Amino acid sequence: MNVELLTSQFWDLTVTGLALGAIYALVALGYTLVYGLLQLINFAHSEVFMVGTYAALIAWGWAGLTQESPIPGLLGMIGYLVIGLIAAAVASGGTALIVERVAYRPLRRRNVPRLVFLITAIGVSVVISELVGVLTDRHRAGIPRLVERSTVISIGDFEITNVQLGVIVAAIAMMVGLDLFINRTRLGRGIRAVAQDPDTAALMGVNQDRVVMLTFLLGGLLAGGAALLYDISLENTRYNVGFLLGIKAFTAAVLGGIGNLRGALLGGLLLGVVEQYGSALWGNEWRDVVAFVVLVVILMFRPTGLLGESLGKARV
Amino acid sequence: MLLELSDVTLRYGRIQALHGISLTVNEGEIVALIGANGAGKTTTMRAISGLRPIASGRIIFNGEDITRLRPDQRVLRGLCQAPEGRGIFPGMTVLENLEMGAYTRRDKAGIAADMKRVFELFPRLAERRNQPGGTLSGGEQQMLAVGRALMAHPKLLLLDEPSMGLAPMLIQQIFSIITEINKQGTTVLLVEQNAQQALSRAHRAYVLETGRIVKAGTGQELLHDEAVREAYLGVA
Repeated sequence: MNVELLTSQFWDLTVTGLALGAIYALVALGYTLVYGLLQLINFAHSEVFMVGTYAALIAWGWAGLTQESPIPGLLGMIGYLVIGLIAAAVASGGTALIVERVAYRPLRRRNVPRLVFLITAIGVSVVISELVGVLTDRHRAGIPRLVERSTVISIGDFEITNVQLGVIVAAIAMMVGLDLFINRTRLGRGIRAVAQDPDTAALMGVNQDRVVMLTFLLGGLLAGGAALLYDISLENTRYNVGFLLGIKAFTAAVLGGIGNLRGALLGGLLLGVVEQYGSALWGNEWRDVVAFVVLVVILMFRPTGLLGESLGKARV
Repeated sequence: MLLELSDVTLRYGRIQALHGISLTVNEGEIVALIGANGAGKTTTMRAISGLRPIASGRIIFNGEDITRLRPDQRVLRGLCQAPEGRGIFPGMTVLENLEMGAYTRRDKAGIAADMKRVFELFPRLAERRNQPGGTLSGGEQQMLAVGRALMAHPKLLLLDEPSMGLAPMLIQQIFSIITEINKQGTTVLLVEQNAQQALSRAHRAYVLETGRIVKAGTGQELLHDEAVREAYLGVA
C-alpha cells in the first residue's frame, strides 16, 4: 500500500477525481430521474451517453476540426464547444426519447413485470453499443484537442487546470439548472407529481406519457453534456465507453440514494475521488475494485444510499 | 344534464365490480352515492375520472362521450376528483399541492383568484402554505385535497369520502364547505359512508349495493326511507 503517493499527490488526485466524478454525476442524474419516476433502471442510458461522445466528434469533423488541426483560438474554441454541445445534446436526447418510445412505452402499456423492463433495457444497451461498434470497426476514435491545458489556480500543492475547472463548473451549472427546473417550474412539478403518486397526478390533469418523455429527454440532455465534457477531458471515445462509465454512474446514483437528484451529485463526486485515492494506494489496476468495494460497504450500512429518500418522497 | 352514466360495468380481472351502473348529475346539484364498504362507490368514481377503464356502458359529460378519454383529458373538460385517501403529494408544500390542482390552467389571474378563495374557505391552509403536505394532520390533508380540486375550477367536483377519518366537528365543517362551494356554482358528486351528513346535504342520492344501484331519490326521501335508515343510518 503506497500511502506516501496518496499524501504527496493528495490535491492532484482530489482534483482529478472531482473532474471525473462530475461527469459520473451528470450521467447518474439520468439513471436517478428515470428511476424516481418509473422505478426502472434504464441500463440503455450508458449508450445514450456514448452516442453523445460520437455526435460531438462527428459535428466537429463537419465543422472542419480534425486531429491534424491546430488548437483553435478562444473564439474558435467557444464556437466548437457550442457546436459539440448541441450535437451531443441532440443525439443523446434524441436517443433517449427513441429508446423510451420504441422499447419502454409498449411495455408500460401492457403493465409487464419489472424484470421484463430490466431485460429490455440490457438488450437495448447491447443493440446500440454493438451497432456503433460495427459502424466504427470497433476502433478507438481520437478526439481533436480543443483546449490547451494550463494551470489556472495554484495555491501551495493545490493546482487545477482550465479543463478540470471548466468540467466541474459546467457539470455543476447543469445540475443546478436541472434542480431549478424540477423544483421551480410547472413541468418540473408535473414530474414530481407523477413520481410521488401517478394516479393522483392523472386526476390533476398531468399527461403521464408526456412527463415520462420529458424525463427521458432531460436525462438524455444531461448525458449529452457529460459526453461533451468527457470528449474534452479524455480526448478519445469507443463504442464501449458507455459500459464502464454507465456502471460507475449507476453506482454513483445508488451510492447517493437512487431517485435522489442531490444524491447523484454527491455519489458521483465521491466515487470519482475515492477511485483516485484507491489507485494511488494500490495501483491503477485496483481503481474499479476500490470503487465497487466502496459501494458494497456503504450499502451494507445504508441500503438506501447516503442521502436516502427518493424523488418521490423527499423535496429533492 | 352534466354527467350521465349508462349501464356502466367494470371488472377487476375476473371479478365484476360494477354491474350496470346508471346515474345522472344535473348542473348545480349535489348528488351523493352512499353504500357500505365494497359496494363499488370508489370504483364508480374511478370509472368516472378514468383511472379504471370500463368494460361496457357509456359515460357522457357535458354532452360529450368521454368513455375512452384518458384521466388528464377528462380534467381538461372540467371534471376534477379529490381521490379517496386524499392523495396529497407528501413532498410538495401546501402551495405546490394547490398549484398542482391548477396544472391544466394557464389563466394566471383566475388561478390567483381561486387560490384566494381556497384560502378563505380554509384559513388553516393559508397558515401552513409552506409546509410539506406530508406533515399535515388528517383533517388538514382533507381540506387540502378539497382545496386542490377546487383549484382546477371544475364544472363537476368529484369527492371521494371527504369525511373519512375526521373528527365529528371537522366533518360538520367539511360538509358546510361543500354546501358553500355548491352555492358558489360548482356541481358536486360525492361518495360517502357518512350517510346522515351526505343525505341531509345532497339534493339527490343513490344507494349502491354490491356494484348495483338499488335505490335513488332526493336526499330527504332517502333520509326517511325505512330500509336506508336501518342499513346506513343505524336506526331501527
